[in-house]
Amino acid sequence: MLASIIASGLALGAVYALIGITYNVMFAASRVMSFTAGQLGMLGGVFGALFVGRLGVPGPVGLVLTLAACAAVGVLTEIIAVRPVLASLEKHLYVLSTLAAALLIQQLTAIEWSTEPQPFPRLLGLGSGILDEKFWLPVLACAAVIGGLEWMYRRTLVGRAFIAIAEDNFAARALGLPERRLRMASFALAGAVAGLAGFSSGQLLLAFFANGAMLNFYGFVPVALGGLGNNRGAVLGGLALGLFQQAANFTVGGVFASVLVFTVFIVVLLAAPQGLFGAPAVRRV
Amino acid sequence: MAADALLHVEALDAGYGKIGVLHRVDLIVRPAEIVALLGPNGAGKTTLLRALSGLLPWTAGDATFAGSSLRGADPRACARAGLVHVVEGHRVFTQLSVTDNLALAAYDLPRGERSARIEDALQVFPEIAAKHTEKGGALSGGQQQMLAVAQGLVRRPRLLLLDEPSAGLSPVLVDRVLLVLARLRDAGTAVLLVEQLVEKSLAVADRVYALAQGRIVLNAPAQAPGLAARLERAYLGVAA
Amino acid sequence: MPYIALARTRLAVPRSMFAALPYFALLLVALALPLAGQEYWTVIATRAAIYWVLVSGLNLVVGFAGQLAIGYVALLTLGAYTASVLVERAGVHPFLALAAAAVVGAMAGVVVGLPALRLRTFYFAMTTLGFATIVTQVALAWTGVTGGGIGVPGPSLAAPFDTAQGFYLLCIALAAACTWMTLNAANSRFGRSLVAIRDAEVAAEACGVAKARLLMLVFLFSGALAGIAGGLFATLQSYITPDAFTFDLSVLFFIAILIGGRGSVLGPLLATLLLTALPEFAAPLVAWSTFLYAALLLVIVLLVPGGIADVLDFRSRRALPSGRAVVPRIQLLPALLSYGVSRDDLTLRGIALSFGAVRAIDGLDLDLRPGEVHGLIGPNGSGKTTTLNAICGFAVPQSGTVRIGGTTLPLGAAPRRAAAGIGRTFQTPRIVGEASVIDNVMIGGTILGRATLIETLLTLPRHRREEAALRDRAMTALRLVGLEALAAIRADRLQHSELRFVEIARALMPTPRFLLLDEPAAGLSAIEIERLGQLVVAISRQGTGVLLVEHHADLIFAVCDRVTVLNLGQTLASGTPAEIQAHRDVVEAYLGR
Repeated sequence: MLASIIASGLALGAVYALIGITYNVMFAASRVMSFTAGQLGMLGGVFGALFVGRLGVPGPVGLVLTLAACAAVGVLTEIIAVRPVLASLEKHLYVLSTLAAALLIQQLTAIEWSTEPQPFPRLLGLGSGILDEKFWLPVLACAAVIGGLEWMYRRTLVGRAFIAIAEDNFAARALGLPERRLRMASFALAGAVAGLAGFSSGQLLLAFFANGAMLNFYGFVPVALGGLGNNRGAVLGGLALGLFQQAANFTVGGVFASVLVFTVFIVVLLAAPQGLFGAPAVRRV
Repeated sequence: MAADALLHVEALDAGYGKIGVLHRVDLIVRPAEIVALLGPNGAGKTTLLRALSGLLPWTAGDATFAGSSLRGADPRACARAGLVHVVEGHRVFTQLSVTDNLALAAYDLPRGERSARIEDALQVFPEIAAKHTEKGGALSGGQQQMLAVAQGLVRRPRLLLLDEPSAGLSPVLVDRVLLVLARLRDAGTAVLLVEQLVEKSLAVADRVYALAQGRIVLNAPAQAPGLAARLERAYLGVAA
Repeated sequence: MPYIALARTRLAVPRSMFAALPYFALLLVALALPLAGQEYWTVIATRAAIYWVLVSGLNLVVGFAGQLAIGYVALLTLGAYTASVLVERAGVHPFLALAAAAVVGAMAGVVVGLPALRLRTFYFAMTTLGFATIVTQVALAWTGVTGGGIGVPGPSLAAPFDTAQGFYLLCIALAAACTWMTLNAANSRFGRSLVAIRDAEVAAEACGVAKARLLMLVFLFSGALAGIAGGLFATLQSYITPDAFTFDLSVLFFIAILIGGRGSVLGPLLATLLLTALPEFAAPLVAWSTFLYAALLLVIVLLVPGGIADVLDFRSRRALPSGRAVVPRIQLLPALLSYGVSRDDLTLRGIALSFGAVRAIDGLDLDLRPGEVHGLIGPNGSGKTTTLNAICGFAVPQSGTVRIGGTTLPLGAAPRRAAAGIGRTFQTPRIVGEASVIDNVMIGGTILGRATLIETLLTLPRHRREEAALRDRAMTALRLVGLEALAAIRADRLQHSELRFVEIARALMPTPRFLLLDEPAAGLSAIEIERLGQLVVAISRQGTGVLLVEHHADLIFAVCDRVTVLNLGQTLASGTPAEIQAHRDVVEAYLGR
């Protein structure tokens, strides 16, 4: 039982962590928390099942197509739900505009895809039991994303521009950085990260439209635990959440596991709004 | 008078939302001159700089830079045209190294040219060249201000807008920064300098404008006789 | 001016009569509906009425207080299961079970609402969403009580409510009662305070609005209504499973309020009817209904943030006369401000306050005397506004005391300053743009109200008396600053200079002993500054102690009895205007030498 808890806990935890990173990447460039984060994760599973399962595209090509499609949806979110709100005086309306965008994505999927969970094809055919690919693929994806982001932030000028915009948007603009293009790029990146989360966990969570709302919430918990904008915190928080949830699931059952997770979430939010690992320094002025 | 102007501002109005801050501001900066923009708190000096560099839309009037209108230009377009704004409060990026801070100022320049520009900018300020691998947050306030000015220099501006470079600096460092401005002018760069330190600004400037309650109330050569008294009256809200 | 005449007639005719017309029309249609003989329509109308019972309460939370509670279906679920399980498994009388559903709903409402006191928009929205997810999961998994996926029968009511028509009339009666109560709440100090929390939170606190208490009351009330709606919903469904409570319902409730328009009761009512009935008109729309709601939400948010209520607000599109000038009527001051014999000073001793490593104020002493205007000037960053915030409790000093006479005021605790006799204005006016000018001024009188929320909901005599007195007083305050002609106008249509005077009128409402003005002359024309100066002097001569933070040196020297100059968080000089003007250090500090 312990092995199952760890296998499924780490797998789900990695997915939650990736959705948490999706929230963070969007937030860093725009100061906007978007309800589309979980929906993009759901789309990763649906597009994967569509391309690889229904259309029979080879796995790697299907992955690239899925990431591209999710990145496109990410950019679309920025254009229709984020940019108009940032341009207006009432910036807090982003909560509503991204909620609307998320519902549009979810309903469209339910109508055009299916309201029932659809199977996701086996990708590599590797491993069985607790070493099945469905358990380690999400962990692998999470490690890849973390490595890729670290490389980007440390080694590329674009990555530094992202850091600059996240720290002081006004100074970055005054310096002549192409703020709007960078924001769109970060929404594309966020879409791809979420798409990868959905694709890698397809065999675990299936291609199901309701996963979006579920991932929205469980993906936000790591952000609350780890502190807004803190990717390492999100990974630690995500894995902790996955393990905790699965342990509770196996020992006290699903209902109390859900209630426990929610209670912990609320308590952490109320006791430490900055997250357990602290958020990066607040902007001056 | 306007024919030789690099920056020509005519009857400019700007503000935040409903609140009008600038009222019919006229101002000229010629190539290779330092113009000091002085005035009491809340007069609208920072607002004027922001309006000129595309950070704040204006509501009426016009401004041309090197012959073309600045209407609707964003900060990026302004910077590309050679109008560079170093904002107040030495807001450098604390999580990035000094070199990276400068590299971002050269974001859309060709990769090959970037390092040469960064070298040039660092040469002006040996204090921060020695710390070029350290994070912006590890610098002292004065060093951060130098880094902010260096960021502006990376662009090789034709006109540099500087907002209170002296804030939080020791007198020695203030002199150091102002000396850099004089050297820039001698090399052909124009500077529009917003300052609280009146005497030091007058010492380095060629001309001076005073802004009070959003209006230009004084325009004179920096060496004009009796200027101190006129400024004093301007600060107390009376047209000089 | 024809404009004033217009405002007068509007006040002469009881406004409530006109305003009540659409509600009576709706009620008539609702009562006539069963006569049409279409039973199906009665069922739809019953559902709409039940939804409105929930939405009317939620409207106070979302539309008035601006709290983004998007998971309210959870409270409907709790109410439905509470009523059903009590009747089915414990044999409780259906009406008692409904009451229990209300209690459970109210308690859950507080649980859902509690995080709103600490969390900002998105975080709070997420917690309500999480709560909704959890409630559905529990309903599904707790099979012993809820029947799990199989479900549980809804409570059937006793005669005469056991028929479709009888039940319909019950729901209509409840919906009408909810409309009446929320209208009463909306047009009271409670409703105005909620809107102030939404749009001008800092100003609300300065006016003495106790945010935590008020929000908890509203969450309690709206939770109770949601619980009742849940019980009725279970009766209407006659059998409930967790599937009946999809998130789509939450979306419907929430979107109805936003489409209807925040701060309105009629708008959300119409939108609830519209959204409930819309899918019935076209069967193919059913699958797409939530998609359409979401699209509608996006359009509303981006294009008409004010919702239906804004579109129907023709009055606010009528042009205001241009070239208006603010002319205060100083002679009215005695009607507004009259003081007893108390002549206590406001004293600051050794106030020190730093933000991180920056010392904003460093050991400041200051004395404000009743009947005097005290100017506070100094260069940028010298600590003027911080001083004002320390007095008002918005900034908490690390050390030092603030006293009025012998009473020491607690540091921080901004909402308690109004009751202590301190009023203020803000550097940029903090006004509720969507409320009328007179409503904005009435917010200033929040602490004068004594009637409880229950008295207000039922519009009992004490509430009515207080409301009338408050409106009278606000009108006097508006006449004083010369803005009475604009009393009924939405505040966001006023000019900047007029808003400055609205803020002064608001601050004068509770007869403050000390009035703190933060750069009141910024953005005013020369003639307006002169009138402002006269008003400030007159207010002080009434016995108020005025603290004036200003950049306009000429105004300071013209109206102040004493002036304190701050530099780097310390007193540079203090004395009469003449002494200060002659003070060499002051000029030096100003010129930065």
